[in-house]
Amino acid sequence: MSASRRGGIAADQVAPSGRMLYSHIEEGKARMSIAFTQLWKTYGVGPTAVDALRGIDLDIPQGEFTVMLGPSGSGKTTLLNIAGAIDDATSGTVKVDGIDLNTLSRDETVQFRREHVGFVFQFFNLIPTLTAAENVQLVAELTGHDDGERTHRVLTDVGLADRADHFPAELSGGEQQRVAIARALVKNPPILLCDEPTGELDFETGRMILSLLRRLNREHGQSVLLVTHNAAVGTMADRVVRLRSGSIVEDRHVEAPVEAEELTW
Amino acid sequence: MVTPLRRKLLRDIGRHRPQFVAIAITIFLGVMVFAASYDSFQNLKASYDQTFVDFRFANLFVRGGNTEAFAADAAGIPGVEVVQTRYVADLPLEISGVKLLGRVVGLPESGQPLVNQLKVIAGALPRGDGVVVEEHMARHFGLVVGDHVSLYDDAAWIQADVTGIVSSPEYIWPARDRQDIITSPDNFGVVFAVQSRAAAWTGLDAPNEAVLAYAGTSDDAAITAQLTDLAASHAALDVMPRELQPSNAALSEDIAGFEETALFFPLLFLAAAGMAAYVLIGRLVYAQRPYIGGLLANGFTRRQIAGHFLGYGLVPGLAGAIPGALAGIWLARVITRLYTGLLSVPVTLVQFYPTTVVIALVFGLGVSVVAALAPALVASRIHPAHVMRGESPKGRGGMSIIERIFPPARRLSTRWRMMLRNIGRNPRRTAYTIIGVVLSLMLVLVSWGMIDTVQHLLDRQFVQIQRQDATVYFTAPVDADAVSRLADVNGVAAAEPVFESPVSLSVAGRTYATSLVVMDPATTMHRFAAPSGDWVSLPGSGLLVGTTLESDFGARVGDPVSVTVGTANVTFMDTIAGFVDEPLGTIAYSSWENAAARAGVPIPVTSALIRYEPGVDPAAVRDGLTSLSTVAAFEDAKAMLNTVQDFMGLFYGFVGVMLVFGAAMSFALMFNTMSVNIVERAREIATLLAVGTERRAISRLVTIENLLVTGMGIPLGLVAGYYVSAAAMSSFASDMFRFDLYVRPTTFVLSALAMVIVALIAQIPGLRIVQRLRIPEIVKERSA
Repeated sequence: MSASRRGGIAADQVAPSGRMLYSHIEEGKARMSIAFTQLWKTYGVGPTAVDALRGIDLDIPQGEFTVMLGPSGSGKTTLLNIAGAIDDATSGTVKVDGIDLNTLSRDETVQFRREHVGFVFQFFNLIPTLTAAENVQLVAELTGHDDGERTHRVLTDVGLADRADHFPAELSGGEQQRVAIARALVKNPPILLCDEPTGELDFETGRMILSLLRRLNREHGQSVLLVTHNAAVGTMADRVVRLRSGSIVEDRHVEAPVEAEELTW
Repeated sequence: MVTPLRRKLLRDIGRHRPQFVAIAITIFLGVMVFAASYDSFQNLKASYDQTFVDFRFANLFVRGGNTEAFAADAAGIPGVEVVQTRYVADLPLEISGVKLLGRVVGLPESGQPLVNQLKVIAGALPRGDGVVVEEHMARHFGLVVGDHVSLYDDAAWIQADVTGIVSSPEYIWPARDRQDIITSPDNFGVVFAVQSRAAAWTGLDAPNEAVLAYAGTSDDAAITAQLTDLAASHAALDVMPRELQPSNAALSEDIAGFEETALFFPLLFLAAAGMAAYVLIGRLVYAQRPYIGGLLANGFTRRQIAGHFLGYGLVPGLAGAIPGALAGIWLARVITRLYTGLLSVPVTLVQFYPTTVVIALVFGLGVSVVAALAPALVASRIHPAHVMRGESPKGRGGMSIIERIFPPARRLSTRWRMMLRNIGRNPRRTAYTIIGVVLSLMLVLVSWGMIDTVQHLLDRQFVQIQRQDATVYFTAPVDADAVSRLADVNGVAAAEPVFESPVSLSVAGRTYATSLVVMDPATTMHRFAAPSGDWVSLPGSGLLVGTTLESDFGARVGDPVSVTVGTANVTFMDTIAGFVDEPLGTIAYSSWENAAARAGVPIPVTSALIRYEPGVDPAAVRDGLTSLSTVAAFEDAKAMLNTVQDFMGLFYGFVGVMLVFGAAMSFALMFNTMSVNIVERAREIATLLAVGTERRAISRLVTIENLLVTGMGIPLGLVAGYYVSAAAMSSFASDMFRFDLYVRPTTFVLSALAMVIVALIAQIPGLRIVQRLRIPEIVKERSA
């Protein structure tokens, strides 16, 4: 398949099978950078048009744990969605390790998401008819990592190996979110996008989830982008980006991130 | 003024317009079919009843024995208003060179009889040597007043002038007798002449039939019973109440079909509509829980909430029932006029029946309101605090039945396991989809099964059992040589002698009028089918009789039977040697040897069965045979088949319409359930898309899931459809004809295939939802 048909992806990054490969990614140590350049997102047209993002410029280096803060309607979730290629920008570029996501075809976008992005949602979004292990295995099979061992390993990582055969209805909120994290991690994605992962959880459980995310980030080196309206969470990050009305109003590195267990709000 | 709640109702319905329209259409179809069938039934019954009143259709027909003595005695019985005697006999006719079997019926010299009056369509009632011709035959041969017909009076052909064309209540369906219910105008026709001419032509010494009309003020059944005893005392051969009169009986069976259609088909449609409405409104209530909680929290009463959601049933119910009732009433008028015109029923009554409208509206509205009742009650019982806190009912989880029963299924990929479990996650909805498939297949098989059954009946009777190409009737009884000479006619491959006569059988304490057919046991022109399905030979001793005598009379093999041959005034005893299972008629068969031995007299040859040589021109052979002076009448076997096929056109049209309606019904139900399934799982589907599953892969999974559910319904539907069809067909059973259900294997296959196709089409809107799903919006929703 020619480079032009694949929207600018270099031939040496495409395996004969057609799978996209980032050759510089070490097995088991996934890392990717994300660069937003003059990113705009507008919903609607004419007088009712709303700018959810206004010319965002932001670089997320590999392996960084970034927290995006902002009130409702600030554009943080929109930015997250565009980074995960589940939404399109109106203008501007989003480059992941140098590849402009806007140039990908529909199939290539799906492939990118499948192989390089893990999502953790506020409402868990587990499949109710599958057990914890099966929810994780679903994604494992999709990405060709369908040996049961990997599923078991990621569930162990999140501390749910003994609850693997339980259905979501039989799990607590925290347990469900941990399953969701395991599902996101089973394909070892270079990028982990978390949208209000503690929004539906009580304080203790939320802190536990944040602790888990931080630990996994340190152990596996994924670039983590976590969206929250809870300012306290920013103190545990490597970097805090604050948005308001679609623009970045603050972008700073955290000198001494606290451990998640020490967070209070 | 439209209240906000009512505005919400209408807007919600607008947002789900396709689903509500599907429900309304299904209700429309059900109500329309009911109104059309029921009004057609009422119109046709009224038309027949009025015909019988206007033309004084006889309540009782008594043939044979001492007719005039019987008539004199019968006149004195209370409740009998009119008794008239007449000459009736079958004679050969010749019209425009075509020889056929005819019937002459005597009329009073003064004109109209007092019973069984005639409607004069053209010309006038006969005087002197003239005749009036029954309408069907006249139309077939293009006869007009002034034409001539010839009759054979056992000695010579006599020409008679056609003075008029008439319609008779006895021959609306021009059947020759109950054993010969299917006739062609090419083979059989009726003429009416004054009594004196009828007497001369038939050669009868005295009138041989009495027709009686009751006053209508007493118990008809009791009068009939009394007259039957009286007739027996006068050695009558046959006593036939009006209900058994061949034309009336055939037509009554037919219009009874309309009454059954009025019940069965609408039930299917309305059941499907009810289930679709229940699924949809239930889903709406579930999705609107937070809003309902808000309304209740703000002071709306539970009754108001329940009433609001009942409205979701009321609107499609009204939208479907009112036009359905109107369309049905209009259609009934069309069907009635078409039917009476096709059959030349003298009176056509088309009336407005308010009860039909009321019942139709009650059915249509009732179904959809009842379907909305359960969801409305659920809505009214919602706890505001729970729903507004965001507590959603936890989704079900569990292994599918297949995984539990068949453990290797647990090793299927996760996507396949998810799909199997999705089928069971909402058992009620899955059940409704399956029931929808079952109902649709019932409708398809009852309709298509009728076609297969009728075609099978025709094939069995006219191809497998009756294997002759034609029957010739002789001017006078002949010997075997005369029959052999028929084979010398160009185009005739074989000719076999037959004796046929109306007889009265007395068996198991009851009397039955039928025909006795005597033929060679080695006949190649007729096969005898035993009830077991085997072909049997005509025994050398004893009679083979129709299975109706076994089922309705309780006769058994070996039972003695008294046979009275009316035309010869001979009675003899015989034995039932076996039963034959023939779709048309209940005939008694005997070998020559047996008949002669039992009757004690030689058995004459009255007719011959003819087989053509392959590839000959049937018309040429007919001409060759009828040119023989010994041949009085000719009956073409295929002509009868063609007559039936002509009438089948209307029937095929009806079945075709039912099949289309059935497809629409199953589409409506499956479309609703499949669409709701997709909407309910929007968040899961969005999640699958977010983790990198392709939309077409999801579409494939959804399609397979829908086909699996459809596939679960197909075997049940085929079985249910078969048994319902069998029950429907058995309701048409009588001694005249029996519709034993026959469904071709290909019909089952094609019906199943049709369901699969409907399912594939019904899911298209749901798949479009999958294609258009916006991931970012859905994954952020608390519930889809």
